[in-house]
Parts: sequence; structure tokens; C-alpha cells
Amino acid sequence: MTDLDKIIASLREGKHIPEETVFKLCLNSQELLMNEGNVTHVDTPVTICGDIHGQLHDLLTLFEKSGGVEKTRYIFLGDFVDRGFYSLESFLLLLCYKLRYPDRITLIRGNHETRQITKVYGFYDEVVRKYGSSNVWRYCCEVFDYLSLGAIINNSIFCVHGGLSPDMTTVDEIRTIDRKQEVPHEGAMCDLLWSDPEDVDTWSLSPRGAGFLFGKREVDQFLEKNGVELIARAHQLVMEGYKEMFDGGLVTVWSAPNYCYRCGNVAAVLKIDDDLNREYTIFEAVQAQNEVGNAIIPTKKSQMDYFL
Amino acid sequence: MSRRNSPPLRSSGINTIQLNAAREMHARTVRARRMPIPTSGITAPSILPTATTTATNTVLPAMPARHICNNPNNPPCVHCGSVIIPSPQATLPLEDNPSITINDWTISSRKKPILNSQELDLWENEKLKGLTLPEMIFGNNYIRIENPKLDWSIEFNALDALRNVQLQDSGIRVAYSSDWINSKRRQNSANAAQRYANDVSDDSLNIIHKYDWTYTTRYRGTENPPASRFRLDNDQTLPLDKLAVHDKILFYDDMILFEDELADNGISILNVKIRVMNERLLLLSRFFLRVDDVLVRVYDTRLYVEFDENKVIRESKEFEGKYQDVLAKHRLSQSHDPKAALRDSSWVAQNTPMVKRECEIIEF
Repeated sequence: MTDLDKIIASLREGKHIPEETVFKLCLNSQELLMNEGNVTHVDTPVTICGDIHGQLHDLLTLFEKSGGVEKTRYIFLGDFVDRGFYSLESFLLLLCYKLRYPDRITLIRGNHETRQITKVYGFYDEVVRKYGSSNVWRYCCEVFDYLSLGAIINNSIFCVHGGLSPDMTTVDEIRTIDRKQEVPHEGAMCDLLWSDPEDVDTWSLSPRGAGFLFGKREVDQFLEKNGVELIARAHQLVMEGYKEMFDGGLVTVWSAPNYCYRCGNVAAVLKIDDDLNREYTIFEAVQAQNEVGNAIIPTKKSQMDYFL
Repeated sequence: MSRRNSPPLRSSGINTIQLNAAREMHARTVRARRMPIPTSGITAPSILPTATTTATNTVLPAMPARHICNNPNNPPCVHCGSVIIPSPQATLPLEDNPSITINDWTISSRKKPILNSQELDLWENEKLKGLTLPEMIFGNNYIRIENPKLDWSIEFNALDALRNVQLQDSGIRVAYSSDWINSKRRQNSANAAQRYANDVSDDSLNIIHKYDWTYTTRYRGTENPPASRFRLDNDQTLPLDKLAVHDKILFYDDMILFEDELADNGISILNVKIRVMNERLLLLSRFFLRVDDVLVRVYDTRLYVEFDENKVIRESKEFEGKYQDVLAKHRLSQSHDPKAALRDSSWVAQNTPMVKRECEIIEF
């Protein structure tokens, strides 16, 4: 058993990983990711997975239900961390698999793989709680900067975390971005990680005052211009685990069941076979307790209180 | 044959594994909610009036068993033998619909998962046309307080709360909005100068779809019959002395009606909770908004019912402040994690100026 296999076994059990080990893993991952393009080429058959959000036990279910990394190729569309209780273990497990089976795992950056967002939405706090310092968080953030921005399957399916950008209408343009940085607040890199599809006639500004919404017209144009037939993205919670829009030209894949341990949604992964057929696998969240009533997931139970 | 766009691969029937899982989950929930029954006590006093049992008696005073629980499958109350503890029924999908009756007042609640795509389509295209819906809607949840004899009820649910959201521009923007828009403008003019074909005109930087993306709602509950029985009387106050007493809580629930993380720019959440005691109840519906580096808002509605007097008081308070001002208050308090405090709606409500208060009553 190699060292990497031992770490993988520990991570799968949610055990503590020493800080030096995390440091080495992160360094090795950076070297590996550095050589990848902004848009990685991936061959079929491949399984596309959406947001994970630190739900380690559900990530294990995902692998179990979809064949496992020993037999299957995977693309993860980002948002590995934040909100769940096991952001670190989930992210490190994916990194270990990437190091152990480099050609089987493609990791794409999500809008949560940034310093700013992880400080607010849980990953930073989790690391400080588990290690007493933020070092491990910093090592992970360094890796975030090297994650690719998209993937293309058999030149036919474009994968990205959020959506399209009006500044970059071809995959080749996306390849020219200098991605090795914190995700900026504006520009194409930001759009790819943040924008959402909606029923709009043209590019339009989100009412929040930042971020784009794109509609069927933009999707159709992108598909035609790039000779692809599908945009696979994540980023938005879907009760059924996946949602196809715009006559099947775009799909949202969501892989965190019972999101935040309270939404009651199922999760999905999308398998693309050699003929580009789509096959969705649905899975549910693990039980919060094992058969003898011990907590697997430390859920926050609402306490009766004499609120005023 | 292409299987593209095929329906989800779910078996048509319910398989045994799911059924067993549901049964197990139900059993666990019931177990978890069963009150710890004292090993000696309750039945012991009549048989053995010793010093220890007298002590137990003072801890557990005799409770007038006038409440009726309407969920016969639930575990019984240790005090009176009737069933009061919220508990799910063994149905598929799992349903949690507890209810209690005191005098002619019945209080019930329901908790279900977030809306599915079909329900969302219906809400978006018909029920709430014009609103881009929040990320998580617990649209089948509610807390209901009803009195059939007085022909009056009030319910708190997500649909009516969202109907109160304005379908116009709130004027609120995320902190980096002007930077973002300016950078797009610069990009556009640079593109124009290079005669570079670009898809985005300055029109794209206008907000076309106008609605209040902060989902601010002044929802105070849905009355039935719809003609409100409340009378404005701002001199009224909630009887805090009565509510501060730790009377035994017979029924308790706490639920989210909707929540949105504003694309990671903060939070917008509507939460409602209730506690029912032998003589009165208190419900708190709280809308909490935090737009990071911009503002915070807490809109509270408290509903109080005194069962024996059939008196209802509803008090609404609005708190609002600039993010930086509230953050500065936290610095004065010298605790170490300001961001955590700004995630805590109770702390924010206590440290943000009140901008409005209204009180209404019903005396039947």
C-alpha cells in the first residue's frame, strides 16, 4: 500500500491528516495542475459531477453509485468546499485521487474555491477548528489558483462551473485567460464561475448589480460557434439533482444531496458514454445517524428555547 | 436509439430498501423525541412517599392535563399521558405534521423538503409571476394557529411571504457593483475602439428583470377569513413578565420558510418558530437580511395568544443599519469574531437601530 493509498483510506474515514502531509499533497497537486490548460480535454466515457460542498459521506456515496475512481473517469465541476462539515476531507480526497489516478479525475474551479468566499462560508472556520491555525487553509487556496476553468469532452460537451461570459464566446478565447490567481470580481474568469442561465432574451445584468444572466439565445450561439452540443454546469441547487434547459442545450448537475443537511433534495451525476448519450444516476443523502443512533454527521438539532 | 433527454432512471415502484430506510428513520425520530422518563418518580409518590419522591414532585408539579395532542402515533407525555411531542407519521415520503389543542385553540405545523422543479415552475410561472425565486423554498412548510369557534386562524407560509416581495428594483446593490459595471463599460469601449465584434452592448448593463433580489418581506402571517381582525394599538406591549416565566413547553417548532445566499453576497432568510405553553403561546417570524459590506435588516413579527382570554397581540419591529455601523458596534464590544456576530440574527437585532414598531391586537 502506497502512502497515498493510506492517506486516501484515512480521508475516507474522516480522520485527521497531519499538517505536513496536507502541505505535501497541495504542493504535488499544484505541480500536476500547473500543466493543465484552462480547458482540459477529456475522453468518454466520463461521469460529470456537480457541487459537493464538504459533504464527504455523500461524496463517498457518489463514487460508490457511479462505479468508483478505479473504473470510471470523472469531471467535478467545482464547489468542493464550504457549508458542509467536511470541506477539507472532501477536497483532499479529490486531490489524492487526482494524484493517484491523474487521467481519471478532472477538477474544475467553482466560485467557492477562492480565499474570499471560503472565509465567509465555512471552509476557513473548519480548518481553524481542526488545526488551530489557518495554514492548511492557505495551502488549499494555493491549489485553488491552479484549478482549470473548464473541460471539453470529445470536443462536444463543454463543462464549466457557472456559465458563459459575454467577453469570451469561444473555447479558444477561454484558453487565453491567465487563470493562476484569486478569482477577480469582474471579467471573463469571474463570469465563468458565477453566471446563471435564466429565461432572458439577451445578456442582462443581475438585479444584484453584478453578474450576468444568459438565455437560450446565448447558449445556442455558443453551441453553434464552438461546434458543441451541450453545456454542463453546476452552481445552482436542483431538487431532482439535475435540470435540463433550453431544449437540452444546457444542463445543471447538482451532487450534494440534502444540501446543508436540511433541503431534502436528491443528487445526481451525469454519465456521458462513447456515443454521447446522457445517463443520470440519482442518489440520496446518507443517514445522519448510524443504526445504533450515533451521529455520522454532526447535524445542528434545533433546541427548544424560551425565545422572547 | 438515442437515450438523450430520457427521464430520470428511477424505478417506478418503491423498493424495499427505501421502505426500510423510511421505517428506520421514523423509528429513530420517534426515539429521539421521546422524553427521558424518570426512573423513579411520577408513579412512585402514592406508593412510597419518601423524601426523594417529594423532591421529584417539586420538580414536576402537577400539570392540568387540558391539552390534547392530535397525533395518536406519537410517544406519550410523561406528565399527563397524552401525546404532545411533535413526531412524524410513518408515511412515504416522510411527513412531519404535529398538532396540539388547548381550549379551542389548535396549533399545527408541517415540515417538508424544498420545492421540486414542478412546484417551482408553478410558483414561478403562475403563483409568483415576475419573481426570480430564492434558492431554497420550503414551500410546503407552515405553522398554523386556529380557533374554529371564533372562526379565525393565522398561518405562516412561504408563498404568502414571497407574495409580499416587491416586484420592482430595490435600489440595493452588492458592494462591488459599481466596480463590476465600470469594468464592463471599459471593456465595451475598448472593444468598440478595436472594432471587435462583441455580443454585449451597454444595454446589457441595464437591469431588465426588476424585482427585489433581497427578498425583503413585511409578511405578518396569513389570516383566515382574509379580512383582518387586528386593530392597531401601538400602546400595547407583549407581556414579557408572563413570557419570561419558564412554563413547561408543550409544543415547539422552528422552521425556515425560504432562504437565499444572494450569490454569496450575504443572506436572506425567513424563519418562524413557536412555543406553546399551558396558558399561552409565542410565535416569532423573523426576516433576516445581510448584504455583505452594505446593510443589515431584521424584520420581526411576534404573535402572542393568551388562551383563556382569547386575546391575540401581534407586534412587528423593523431594524435596519449600515453594515459598517453594525460592525463598528461589534468592535466596541471587543469580542474576537465580528463576522460570526453578523451571521447571528439575534445579535444583529439587538445592535441595529429600530426604525419602526407597530402593535396590533384582537380581543374576541
